[in-house]
Amino acid sequence: MAVSTGLGGEQYDYDIVRKFTIMALVWGVLGMFAGVYIASELAWPMLNFDIPEITFGRLRPVHTTLVIFGFGGSALFATSYYVVQRTCQTRLWNSGLARFTFWGWQIAVGSAALSYMLGYTQAREYAEMVWPIDILIAVTWVAYLLIYVQTLRQRSQPHIYVANWFFLAFILATALLHIFNNMAVPVSMFSLESYSLHSGVQDAMTQWWYGHNAVGFFLTAAFLGMMYYFVPKQVGRPVYSYRLSIIHFWALIFLYMWVGAHHLHWTALPDWTSTLAATFSILLLLPSWGGMINGIMTLSGAWDKLRTDPVIRFLIVSLSFYGMSTFEGPLMSLKSVNALSHYTDWTIGHVHSGALGWVAMISFGSIYHLVPRLWNTKMYSLKAIYLHFWLATIGIVLYISAMWVAGIGQGMMLRGFDQFGNLAYTFIETVSFLHKPYFVRAVGGALFVMGIMIMAWNVFMTVRQSKREEAELEAKIAAKMAQAS
Amino acid sequence: MSKEAPKQAVQTTGHAWDGDLQEFNNPLPRWWLWGFYATVVFALVYWLLFPAWPVGKTYTKGILNEITYTDAKGQEISTHWNTRSLLAKEMQESRAQQQQYVAQLQDAGYREIRADQKKNEFAYSMAKVLFADNCAACHQGGGAGVIGHYPNLADDAWLWGGTYGQIETTIREGHMGFMPAFEDGLTEQELDDVALYVLAKSGEKVAGEQMQRGAEIFNGETGGCHYCHTKEANGMTSMGSANLTDHIWTIADVPGKSDLASKKDAVKQVIRNGVSRKMPAWKDRLSDIEIRMLTFYVHQLGGGK
Repeated sequence: MAVSTGLGGEQYDYDIVRKFTIMALVWGVLGMFAGVYIASELAWPMLNFDIPEITFGRLRPVHTTLVIFGFGGSALFATSYYVVQRTCQTRLWNSGLARFTFWGWQIAVGSAALSYMLGYTQAREYAEMVWPIDILIAVTWVAYLLIYVQTLRQRSQPHIYVANWFFLAFILATALLHIFNNMAVPVSMFSLESYSLHSGVQDAMTQWWYGHNAVGFFLTAAFLGMMYYFVPKQVGRPVYSYRLSIIHFWALIFLYMWVGAHHLHWTALPDWTSTLAATFSILLLLPSWGGMINGIMTLSGAWDKLRTDPVIRFLIVSLSFYGMSTFEGPLMSLKSVNALSHYTDWTIGHVHSGALGWVAMISFGSIYHLVPRLWNTKMYSLKAIYLHFWLATIGIVLYISAMWVAGIGQGMMLRGFDQFGNLAYTFIETVSFLHKPYFVRAVGGALFVMGIMIMAWNVFMTVRQSKREEAELEAKIAAKMAQAS
Repeated sequence: MSKEAPKQAVQTTGHAWDGDLQEFNNPLPRWWLWGFYATVVFALVYWLLFPAWPVGKTYTKGILNEITYTDAKGQEISTHWNTRSLLAKEMQESRAQQQQYVAQLQDAGYREIRADQKKNEFAYSMAKVLFADNCAACHQGGGAGVIGHYPNLADDAWLWGGTYGQIETTIREGHMGFMPAFEDGLTEQELDDVALYVLAKSGEKVAGEQMQRGAEIFNGETGGCHYCHTKEANGMTSMGSANLTDHIWTIADVPGKSDLASKKDAVKQVIRNGVSRKMPAWKDRLSDIEIRMLTFYVHQLGGGK
């Protein structure tokens, strides 16, 4: 049964959730468009047009920052603020501070993207922001943590719902990762450049401890929090197993912290560090799957809803991709597999099966659940949601298959020897081999962007429709009042 | 609680959030639990075999997993498994596989290699990648060259000679290609005349009067072109001066121009500015056998002499 009250606007702070939801879509469209553009630059290098600001090297961090922190981050702020209020049955702790987190986050994301295009970067993957932006993020994040903890503390429910564990773990871990990885000494007060406090292999290790846990806590744990609320809500059935949720939660957050070094196999990193990272990645497989099982089994007994509810389709497909990429990840973390896959597009494909298949799809599903409740109306077009679903799904499949071909193909070519023991291929042959998969990848990405653009339009029309309905209602009430008097 | 929820033996935990949010208390799926145990066993075995846990200032080295290889000094080394030694070992194995062919080719003459199919194939296989990784950046894939910059190696015109020996010397020692600039030495009219004369040598139709004046500049003291290019304009491989009679243009883009006036301008440009090109020496970067295999490869690219 449906339980959205519709009157929640007064009981809960929905305004902040609406703000973040809209910005998630804005950054999503921009960031994914940037992604398709750089994918096209790889297929057709002339698209660089010799303009430094839009060359691949500068647009690539713009793409990753806008989609991970702009789209993903805003979607997480929106859903976590929504979920914590509804499952604790209390209003957000401090509305003013929540607005500070909104503006702090948006300014950080926007100025990061601009600074990359102008050529300012810390050159740490997924942490390219220069130090003043890092400080803004740190302050914003501490405010977020404070709001979240205080809201949990003032809950009018005896127990804390599972989704909140995941959100809280994500907020805590992200603060830790962000601060330790960005410890740096600015060249001067008025310079955007800085030197890392760490050096050599420790620096690389810290960076990938951060990099992989950005995946583990930002892109996995947090979105599992999303999953634990929106899947049972949309399906209307209890979560499959409380026990499984506890076990896989603790296993997940314990194990993830160890595995970052698998990004540095076959480098100057000590061999024992590599081994630990690889084995903990293998140990992580089943705990990761715990979340998938809990999500998919929640749907058992209500499979028929897949036929009528496109939102559930988004959620289920996202869980399937989550299961697939968390199987692929441990596989790629083994040293022998990594020797083939590393520095090839297989890695890019793997990241996108997680980012498009899991993160974006679960966010789309959750936002489609949220929007009608936030604006107290129905989605403007159900057909558009179906269309979005198919565009996104076909886009991902094209993307991932193209990258498997590109990555495994190039990996095999680079290590290919002929019967004489000579290298079988020249480097340039591997580059020209990549053109066709790159073309297919750009097409897949373009389909995915079309999907989110349709979604943005659909949400825009829904908000407009809500305003119209509200005006009509007010006119009706005014007319009745006039009659009565 | 949802009305349509089927009756199940499993109970919920009894808590409810946000109206209808509840949790069943299903046990852990068996296959999940056993799967997790299996990964634990996998990790334990892995830790036993490979370097794994730090202990004080050292670490567990792993057992039953020794690597034996011969280092650069020819010393046999046995060590616990580690990525650096594994690389050394694999490089050594690849080199050994190559070595049986390299040994056959080490002292073989070029004509002997050409006559033997197996040796021929090996030379080609080795040089193909060497060429693409070392030479193609300038001379382009297949040795097509870039007009005005890098000579075409796929035609049968050889500035420095096209015999095996000459090509090998070129690769080994490199070359400085130089022609002085005539900007100051010749007037505009003289530049026109000599450019047309050069074009006529490669088959362009030029008026007799201009030919006459051009020939005087080319073969006389005004231009002195013949000192390097010879009176017949055939060039000299000993100094890398181009043959101007073979219709092949490596610097002035004559084939890319449609009318005589623009062809003349292209040639004039070269005479006016001179030429200064450098092919680096490869003797310190490539091994002897690599240079020889490249020589063989380049020779057959354009039909060597």
